[in-house]
Amino acid sequence: MAVSSDTSQKYDLGFARWVYQNVKGGDKLSMCMQCGACSGSCPIGTEMDHGPRKLIMMVRAGMKEAVFQSNTLWNCTSCYRCTVRCPRGIPVTHVVQGLAAKAVALGYASEVDTARFAHSFWWSVTHFGRTDERLVTAKYYFSFGFIAGIKKSLDNLKIALGMVMKGRMHVGLPHKVSDNKGLRAILEKATEIEMRDKQGGAES
Amino acid sequence: MNNQILNPGVYLCGGCGIGESISLDALEQVAGKEYKVPVCRQHAFLCGDEGRALIEADLAAGNVNQPIVAACSPRVMTDQFTFEGTPAIRANLREQVVWAQPAGEEDTQMLANDYLRMAITQAAGTVPTVAAPEGEYSHTILVLGGGSTGLNAALAAANTGYEVLLVERDNQLGGWANKWSKTLPHLPPYRDPQPNTINELITTVEAEPAITVLTGSLVTKTEGGPGKFNVTLSQDGSSRVEHVGAIVVATGWRPYDANNLVHLGYGLNTDVVTGIELEELLTNESLQRRSDNKPAKTVMFVQCAGSRDPDHLPYCSSVCCEVSIKQALQIMQTDPAASVYVLFDELRTPGTAEEFYRQAQKAGVVFIKGKVKSVSADLGVTYDDVMLGQEVTLQGLDMVVLATGMVPNSTNPEIEPAENGAEQLLDDVNPNTPLSLAIKIIDNDAKEVVPPTAEQAQASEPVSAALPGGPLLNLQYVQGPHIPMLVDGFSDSHYICFPYETRRTGIYTCGPVRRPMDMAEASEDAAGAILKAIQSIEGAARGAAMHPRVGDLSFPKIGLDTCTKCRRCTIECPFGAIEEDENSFPILIESRCRRCGTCMGACPVRTISFDNYSPNMVLGMIDAVEVPDEFDEKPRILIFACENDAYPALDMAGLNRYQYSAFIRVIPVRCLGSVPLLWVATALEKGFDGIMLMGCKSGDDYQCHYVKGSALAKERLSKIGETLKSLMLEEERVTMAEISIADSHSIPDVIDGFVETIEGIGFNPFKGF
Amino acid sequence: MSDSNMNKSGKKKFVYYPGCSSQGSSKHLDSSLRAIVPALGLEMEEINDWNCCGASVGNIGGGPLPTTALSGRNLAKAEQQQATDVITGCAACYLNTHGANERIKADITLRGKVNESLSAADMSYEANLQVRHACEVIVNEVGIDKIKARVTKPLEGLKVAGYVGCQTVRPFANTESGGKYDTFDDPKFLDQFAEACGAEAVDFDLKTSCCGGSVAVISPEKTLHLIRDILQAAQDSGADVISTPCPLCQTNVEMYQPAINKKFGTNFNIPVVFYSQLMAKAFGLDAKKDAGLHRNTIRSEKLNILVRE
Repeated sequence: MAVSSDTSQKYDLGFARWVYQNVKGGDKLSMCMQCGACSGSCPIGTEMDHGPRKLIMMVRAGMKEAVFQSNTLWNCTSCYRCTVRCPRGIPVTHVVQGLAAKAVALGYASEVDTARFAHSFWWSVTHFGRTDERLVTAKYYFSFGFIAGIKKSLDNLKIALGMVMKGRMHVGLPHKVSDNKGLRAILEKATEIEMRDKQGGAES
Repeated sequence: MNNQILNPGVYLCGGCGIGESISLDALEQVAGKEYKVPVCRQHAFLCGDEGRALIEADLAAGNVNQPIVAACSPRVMTDQFTFEGTPAIRANLREQVVWAQPAGEEDTQMLANDYLRMAITQAAGTVPTVAAPEGEYSHTILVLGGGSTGLNAALAAANTGYEVLLVERDNQLGGWANKWSKTLPHLPPYRDPQPNTINELITTVEAEPAITVLTGSLVTKTEGGPGKFNVTLSQDGSSRVEHVGAIVVATGWRPYDANNLVHLGYGLNTDVVTGIELEELLTNESLQRRSDNKPAKTVMFVQCAGSRDPDHLPYCSSVCCEVSIKQALQIMQTDPAASVYVLFDELRTPGTAEEFYRQAQKAGVVFIKGKVKSVSADLGVTYDDVMLGQEVTLQGLDMVVLATGMVPNSTNPEIEPAENGAEQLLDDVNPNTPLSLAIKIIDNDAKEVVPPTAEQAQASEPVSAALPGGPLLNLQYVQGPHIPMLVDGFSDSHYICFPYETRRTGIYTCGPVRRPMDMAEASEDAAGAILKAIQSIEGAARGAAMHPRVGDLSFPKIGLDTCTKCRRCTIECPFGAIEEDENSFPILIESRCRRCGTCMGACPVRTISFDNYSPNMVLGMIDAVEVPDEFDEKPRILIFACENDAYPALDMAGLNRYQYSAFIRVIPVRCLGSVPLLWVATALEKGFDGIMLMGCKSGDDYQCHYVKGSALAKERLSKIGETLKSLMLEEERVTMAEISIADSHSIPDVIDGFVETIEGIGFNPFKGF
Repeated sequence: MSDSNMNKSGKKKFVYYPGCSSQGSSKHLDSSLRAIVPALGLEMEEINDWNCCGASVGNIGGGPLPTTALSGRNLAKAEQQQATDVITGCAACYLNTHGANERIKADITLRGKVNESLSAADMSYEANLQVRHACEVIVNEVGIDKIKARVTKPLEGLKVAGYVGCQTVRPFANTESGGKYDTFDDPKFLDQFAEACGAEAVDFDLKTSCCGGSVAVISPEKTLHLIRDILQAAQDSGADVISTPCPLCQTNVEMYQPAINKKFGTNFNIPVVFYSQLMAKAFGLDAKKDAGLHRNTIRSEKLNILVRE
């Protein structure tokens, strides 16, 4: 089942089932009993517009637009407190991250900081096979534009300088895996398989 | 006072701390010196073989024919202290004296002495009871209703060895179950809808030689009582009379009328269906909607449609949640791509139904907690989503299913309402509810006509509105033709304390006419009701009482020589056991009698009594208490305690070693309804400073084992004020306390509080007269 | 660990997966682990040409299967080295690699897809490895008594707040595959490590509270109060240092102290070290080369004494 591209409906009747079947951890989502242990456990629930409990209910009510536009997706710290406390065994962390990944894939998140950071991160992975904290951060900062990037860099200059001084920020050429070609081939293949599965799913 | 009775023997037990707490020698003085009881023995362990041998030897030698055991409560050691088939008279020295009072005190000894005096007097007023069954008793059970419950009831009875007459108003057996595509899971692992096995059940019943099936039949009249019911049946315009021993009513339920649910879209769109209508649409193919036969891809179940709603059914029908889960799973099983929503307020999945619920969750059924507001003609469902805290309108559904509730068939809506008895059907407990007999009397005797008050007239309006149809059994009883309802139209007596029992002896209900339930529960319920019916039949044939005085052979004897035909016994008997002969004298329908003594409490001229329980016996016990004069500063409080709950609670208070005033004297009674005001007046004249009636709760949530005994006692007591005033006594001297069997912890507060009140008022001025 | 987890010679072979932070912000975790693990009697060699695990945003940036394939490549490399067990010291590396490994083991379809991806570089993974956190290995394979026995310079008088953080214990610490080595909410192992090294483990309430993780890197304004609370609890408990197993926790709690002091008007100056740095020191290993204590940015007198002695 493919998710509907119709954005006019506030409540999309097929959305809940689509999430159950297509989002990482979504297969367990139907077991949610809305106890709220997840939201109560969240370290930065106060920063979220909805929190995980309500987000799950919004999925059930078919509120696709509101779910993908929720900042809850981008404020997960991956502390897994909700996951280990869920009495119904729902991997809440994975569900929130899975929804975030879908939001990116469906084009909801181009302006979201976390999505920018994730893209910078993935750029580093695909280019070098390893993460260069300096380059990821720089690329992330400059994804806001050149001026904003300079400003953000200056904001954190003290931290960066401290790291450099202690030898904890790499300053030479980026570390790379030596078989970078092989790694890229693997990632390309994996992406290809994922696309193939998606199309297969739409046909069935 | 009759201080000399023939051949009593007093046996004093010193065990369980009695000997250490009080003087058995002093008790021996009471028996020997005061009452001249010729045989009085002490033993340290009376319930043991040696102790019993002591009593048996005296009985065998002919020295004693009425043993009086002063030991533990009459509620315990009943087998040990029953001799030659007759229970000994007991004085409760353990639970209600030594366990509730300090050892070695003068007041403790005085309490024990009085209980022995009361027991000796009780023995003097007791005549051995003899069973007196008369005439021919039927052992056949009539089962009314041939649906799933009735079929199971009939089968349970047949399997136990009883003949069954199974009466069904439709032309075929099976009832609603004939419509079910599948049934709820009743077998492990309780996760999938099960095949409907109603046809197998019908086949089994039809093949059972002990069961006679009468379809297309109605009961038009029921007379008699347990063991001796005469039931008139009509079938195809002809009628016949059947003699049956007991009746099990399994008339089931009908769905709430969805035409009342226009706000939920019913009638506005053919794709708004009830759960029952959906059953016929569920097949092995994927679900199609009624309007255009297109597949229903998105379906929403709306739970509590017209249930738990003061404007419709105020109660929960308990099965709709599981039924919707079943139907949702069936839809998903035939079409895995379907989106099925269940909109619920509170999902009720008790016991193994939780497994079923989880199965539906796993299958991807979307459960939404919310309160439905409306369903529009274009299938838009608007609800308050409780978990989101906002109103939501879902558009684009293919079908909406209303989970409607169950209405009990406690009347038959297909026949004419009866002309009288409707009030009794709705409110059998209230002593002020007019009886059909009273109405008849008023009709026959024009000068007694009392026009109904405006209140009564208004009250009678909803009675007829709430009661479509006529009586199921058309009982020819004083109280009217119906089986009374308990709450919300369901026929029962008390769900918890005495399930299956109606307020008519020998008639039991089971299945959804008793309370909402599913087929598996109803099947067990059917077996339970059948067991009660069998008890009733066998008890009636032996002349023995039903619950709660199971096996009691005594019954009320009415002395017609002094009867004033006042009709109080006839009207007040909770079970319609007393009817009238052609001269308007009361006659007892023995097998309907539960032996509660309400008639005895009602009789103003003391002409009703039991061999082992009578007005004079208790008057003797009251008189046996030594009431000290006021200079001793020892008040005396008399407590009439109901043997069903209050007396056991007093025993348990002792068992827990709760201490309370030693100034009370307790007389166990069968029911507060059996207490005549004469006893109260006599006790006050004798010099008792206060009187307490301790019994079960009355009112809508009554716990009285005889339905309205407590209510009657309350009613009678409300009229004692005049008597007290004429005696120049304070009204507070007479009171009533509601004590349930679980209330032993509150016994000290209740007793000591009352003693304190009495001490505040001062001593009874009649003391010493 | 089960008997099936043996290589052909019937012995366990440990390989080490350092992770990207070992080459940047957490060089001192890397150097101290490489020093203490052999000191505790376990040999381990590094995975050849390892790559990034995907960290916490890989799913978002690259998608589920490519992220799993990243771990698949590392695991395939480890298998080529005849390893039985993969040890990692980084919480995120552990979370991703352990999680991916368990999914690949349990889900035959996924295993097929991962191997199909790996085949693009002529690699494959048979799913015979255990991926284990260094702390779990120290608890289950070494034991607290062995740590005690190895200590030559007990950290007497040092008060340590054991800050476990999140992903070191959640969601795997209390599971079968995670070695059942401690609880999710109140793990004891870090305190036991400190005590074994002769230090005093203080009663620290927020031992498993979140520091903000990657959100602290991306949007510090949302999470500074979390780190402030952790620092306050550590200060209230009388700790001289905070000890942690997690690279991101170490960096966040340490680096943001000046920003927190500025924002909340506080005056925190609490060194944040890795448990492995403390162990290296207590084992008498080199304070710089092994323990890497010179890399900690927050200095205090207590820490300086530790570096000098």
